[in-house]
Amino acid sequence: MPKKIWNWFVLASGNVWVIRTFVLFWSLIVLLPLMLLLIFSFFETKSFVTIYKPSLNTWVSLFDSGRFEVALRTLRVALTITMIELLIAFPFALWLAKGCKSRTAKAIFLALLTIPFFLDISSRTIVWRAILGQNGLINTVLLETGLISKPVEWLLYSEFSVHFGMIAPHFPTMVLPIYLAISLIDDDLIKASEDLGASPLQTLSRVIIPLSMPGVLAGTVFTLGPALAAWIEPGMLGGGFVNLLSHSIESAYTALRYPVVAALSAFTIVVLALLLSAVLVLTRRTASMEGLFRRMHQ
Amino acid sequence: MEDYSDIKTQFDLSRRDLLKGMATATAVGALTAAGGASLAQASGKPVRAYGVTTAQLKDWGIMKKSLGVDMEFIGTDNSVGVFLRDVVASKLGDEVDIFIFESGTEDILGPKGIYAKIDEKHPELTLWDRTADDWKRSAVVTSKDGGQYGVPVIGNADSFGYFPEKLGVSKDGQDDVSWAMFFESDVTRGRVAYDQTWTYSLPVAALFLKHHGRVKINNVVDMTKEEASKVVDYLIERKKAGQFRTLHSAFEEQIQLLSNREIDVINCWEPATKEANKALGDNTVFYAYTEEGYFKWGHGAYVASQATSRDNLDNVYKVLNYFLGGEYRAHQARDRGYAGPNLDLGVKYAKENGWSKADIDSLTANQAKIDRKFAKPFVSTTTPENSSVMEDEWQRFLNA
Repeated sequence: MPKKIWNWFVLASGNVWVIRTFVLFWSLIVLLPLMLLLIFSFFETKSFVTIYKPSLNTWVSLFDSGRFEVALRTLRVALTITMIELLIAFPFALWLAKGCKSRTAKAIFLALLTIPFFLDISSRTIVWRAILGQNGLINTVLLETGLISKPVEWLLYSEFSVHFGMIAPHFPTMVLPIYLAISLIDDDLIKASEDLGASPLQTLSRVIIPLSMPGVLAGTVFTLGPALAAWIEPGMLGGGFVNLLSHSIESAYTALRYPVVAALSAFTIVVLALLLSAVLVLTRRTASMEGLFRRMHQ
Repeated sequence: MEDYSDIKTQFDLSRRDLLKGMATATAVGALTAAGGASLAQASGKPVRAYGVTTAQLKDWGIMKKSLGVDMEFIGTDNSVGVFLRDVVASKLGDEVDIFIFESGTEDILGPKGIYAKIDEKHPELTLWDRTADDWKRSAVVTSKDGGQYGVPVIGNADSFGYFPEKLGVSKDGQDDVSWAMFFESDVTRGRVAYDQTWTYSLPVAALFLKHHGRVKINNVVDMTKEEASKVVDYLIERKKAGQFRTLHSAFEEQIQLLSNREIDVINCWEPATKEANKALGDNTVFYAYTEEGYFKWGHGAYVASQATSRDNLDNVYKVLNYFLGGEYRAHQARDRGYAGPNLDLGVKYAKENGWSKADIDSLTANQAKIDRKFAKPFVSTTTPENSSVMEDEWQRFLNA
């Protein structure tokens, strides 16, 4: 970005009217719809008709129907996936950013990571049904080799298969921000750590991890959000036994139950906001979202 | 119902155009892309329809050749929520002449004036009088207050597909198989696929329990909270007993589950069994005749009230009449296995147009099948009055 334009942005960002205009704009497009969502959750639907009379009936029905558990289950699955992705993505990103010396190999791996963005997720997911099913590839091999006497049922239509199916599609959103953050760590800092006698583990824990935290934070946000909204994998691999938020909302929608949809969404947004706030508080000393962008600019 | 005294419904909202947006843009965009000028022009214009894709001919050119009227069809899925949103909130009747959907919407949209009443004496509706009351006066096309808001298009009696050798029933598919085989037989435990759409699956469970006197239910398609709760308690018990292998949700999934032999029995659409037999061989999978009854559904064609003041109403009624005629009936029965009114005209059409003996026999067999199945309950609806409590109870089953 040309320096002149950048300077103008810096100057403008300190102007009180610019800030006020931005806050007003932000409130209108983000906060106002969220407020409306919350308000709508206090109405109810009868015979496909929304009754605009405030009550707690919709919220009460969330508990009666088990939808509250759906929201919690969705959070649990999404958090588990995010943790799994983090555990796999961090070492991979570290190797790709600092360990992989071949530019060609690095380019190939980065290209491979973008492939999921170009392929239809349904097509990629449905393949697993033919592999994990009772008559699928894995069970057939296990049966033929005599390792099992009857098909393993939990391979498909279970929480296991849903988690399994979600790992690959959500990997790029975790690994790419971490890769970016680690790439920006100056090699001299790592070298200095070694020169001062730090062990590889100490360099990792005291230099690399703290400096990569903006990437970890960004990856967590970019992965957790889509995981909460997962629809294809639970639908295709859960067999109806892993009822998550997206399907619960869809079911409510078939009866035009907009207040239920609003209540479920509001509940999830509140929990997510609390969760992210907790993460930000816990990592406030080492990471911030703007930190990543600030360092990119440097 | 005192709550209704001070409410603003979605219909009121629609009048203020609050929800007019994406659906209109999408549907109208699609219509424009389909070609054709504004409807508010001279007669001889195409008829525009919006509805479920299963009502479509594979090639509307056949109809144009017969009637001289072109059809511009915009498809939608089976979601009544999406359909009502498009028709009501987006005022799709401004652009579309005919709506085609499963039974139930006429109960809401007819009395609201969004569907026009059918003019039974319209000169183009020549086949109306010969159409059996079983079809033309059915709940699919009449509202609860008796208004005639639609013309019957297609229908079927849904049950379940099964592999006869797995269930130990006759291999010609002619046995009446009880829904007990589906819900609670040890023979099928862990090998049952159950559709996870509540409007489709909850009533058949209720029918089974009601038929055998295990739960008192007034109307299986529109259950009270207490009734639905008892049915769901039973289903939860069966779910925990491991009766269901999977809860499926799409037509393609039905075909795959049968074709892969992942399950032995599945409540599904009849065409799924036909598709599976293409992969597995004829008469491998049968679509059940049942002891207790069926999910009998029908599609009606409903005229948008705005269409009555446009100048292509004659063409609209020509198309409505076409739905009652032999050509449409024969093609729908052969291509999809669906029935409808005046199937005898379908057989006549097939004979006059040199169809093969196998195709003609198939049409006759289709008639016999429908006669046998339609003798038993129950007629489905997409818009039960107790939809909210039924949907809530179904969630309880899904979450158990």
